[in-house]
Amino acid sequence: MHNPYETQPAKITFISRQTANIKLFRFEFVQKVPGHKFIFKPGQFIELSIPGFGEAPFAPCNDLGAGYIELCIRNVGKLTAKLHKMKIGDIVNIRGPYGNGAWPLDKYNFKTQKNLFIAVGGLGLVPLRTLLLGKDKFLGKDSKVQIFYGAKAPEEMLFRHEYSRWKKHNIQIELTVDKECVGWNKCVGLVPILFDKHEVIQNSVAFLCGPPIMYKYVLDKLKKLGFADEDIYLSLERRMHCGIGVCQHCAVGSYYTCKDGPVFSWAQIKDIPGAI
Amino acid sequence: MNQSQLNKFIAYLQKNDWSVFGPVFTTAKIEELSPFLSAHQPSAIKKSGQILIKEIKKAGDLNLDGQLPFYSFKRFFVPEYETLFEYKKNRLAAKKYAPKIALVGMNILDLKAVNLYDQVFEKDPYYQARRRNMLIVGYSLTPEINDNIFEYKFEEDILEHLPFDIFLADYNAPSPRQNVGAPPPLNLRGGRGELYKVFTGSIKGQRILEHFGYKDYEHIQFSGPVREGRADERMERLRDRLKNHHDPNIWEKLGKICIECGKCTLICPTCFCFRIDDSPSSVKDSGVRTRCWDSCYYQEFSEMTGGHKFLDSTARRLHFWYFHKFARIPDEFNFMGCVGCHRCAAVCPVGIDIAEVLEEISNS
Repeated sequence: MHNPYETQPAKITFISRQTANIKLFRFEFVQKVPGHKFIFKPGQFIELSIPGFGEAPFAPCNDLGAGYIELCIRNVGKLTAKLHKMKIGDIVNIRGPYGNGAWPLDKYNFKTQKNLFIAVGGLGLVPLRTLLLGKDKFLGKDSKVQIFYGAKAPEEMLFRHEYSRWKKHNIQIELTVDKECVGWNKCVGLVPILFDKHEVIQNSVAFLCGPPIMYKYVLDKLKKLGFADEDIYLSLERRMHCGIGVCQHCAVGSYYTCKDGPVFSWAQIKDIPGAI
Repeated sequence: MNQSQLNKFIAYLQKNDWSVFGPVFTTAKIEELSPFLSAHQPSAIKKSGQILIKEIKKAGDLNLDGQLPFYSFKRFFVPEYETLFEYKKNRLAAKKYAPKIALVGMNILDLKAVNLYDQVFEKDPYYQARRRNMLIVGYSLTPEINDNIFEYKFEEDILEHLPFDIFLADYNAPSPRQNVGAPPPLNLRGGRGELYKVFTGSIKGQRILEHFGYKDYEHIQFSGPVREGRADERMERLRDRLKNHHDPNIWEKLGKICIECGKCTLICPTCFCFRIDDSPSSVKDSGVRTRCWDSCYYQEFSEMTGGHKFLDSTARRLHFWYFHKFARIPDEFNFMGCVGCHRCAAVCPVGIDIAEVLEEISNS
């Protein structure tokens, strides 16, 4: 019988430092199964483990066609501290991908009818990078994307060397930092402040990913702009153990974040107390 | 089947390498089981002992009087602690341990819980391996009505919705506290001085009985955990109240008295949530990845990296527990996540009674 907890060993093939405590890791599976390619939908997650240090969910953020997995990970717990000490060639274990609720790319016609508005904070940009890197493929060449992105400080901004490339693909990105700092002459304040400075792209669907505190304020702004609940999508974060809708840790109302999410429409979860 | 045949059947199972477990009346004092409980239980139980599930060495030890065992049969299906993998360096090897176990005398409430395990762990290879090597011999008497909050009775059609291999229907000793005026629970005239009418619910059950040499059984085809065409009104009402008429006062009030000890979750036959952890052994770079019961009353249940907890108060955790049993499980499987055994109320050190809470939800 198929064992859902079984993992595949994967080797670290590349590491790049993003910020003081965030690194981007690239992994390749050790045993390549012939004819099998690791495919996931933008918004899904995988479970990464290091024996002895436990297991945790992470959102892959690589270009889909790349043949490797990239994870952008902050050094914040037992498992991630161990990972941050690892070097190229070291082995971790991966299972997944999981989550039936990915970003709803097939639900809308982004080619001709809808634009995409993205509001993200901190590490919230990570689960959207795959979508942004493959934007032409996922949404079409002419589709318009606008991103509101907030980070603590300029040096905390993820993938910042990629923004200029994104812009060439009709991706507009507006940035803000939490506090004023030397060398920063753009917007200062939390993500909602960007709504006062920039006009949100017309006729769009909203994808949100960030710390829970951000959701309430961004939702207020979006509702004022007339977004329908069905057209706002949020990626939820929860403690997860099994990843397959059994262990109960990630339950939100009658949904499981791991199985039914992690991306939900606001219409699905707005009546669940404590969902955000 | 009469008593001497049943005794022979148990001996037969043992001879065929089954470890037989069943309810046993034990005079082990409650103090020996839990010093804490001894301080809170009525003294009658202290004196008279308990029904516990133990390995049956002599057939005569099996206690079939319809009393609810103190603990349910949960741990045979969902063990409190199990090894999923053994690891050495970065290699994980799956570990499955599934001995032949026969559970004899499982009451109807605990059998109902098996319906839930079967659904939840449908795709779990560890559970399925255990389940394949298990023989379930059910027994008809439902625990006394006051211990059974949904007042389940042993009715004729209940059997086709219960997962068992063999079932012993006791018709000589009607349920101890029948409602006056209600029709007798089941009229199974076997005659010939037989004590138990025997049913089978699986091919495995049939095969074992035939091999043992007992042929006078009737087969009942399992038709799923839910009775078709008869909506469970109680379930519908509780689910509707919990989902559409959220009353925070119920939980705030209970949150003030609950001490989050988690006993109700451990003793509850339908509580199955778990955590997965790695435990290093004393040998370098090796250890086990385990699955262990968790409790949604524990503070770290919803704690994420960085310390944020979505269930950040006792009230929220209480609500989570009730919502799971009476809204989420009904949504997933179309039956309640509570068998009505009342064990949670029996062990609650602050006297929270699930029947009263359900009444309050119902009226909210």
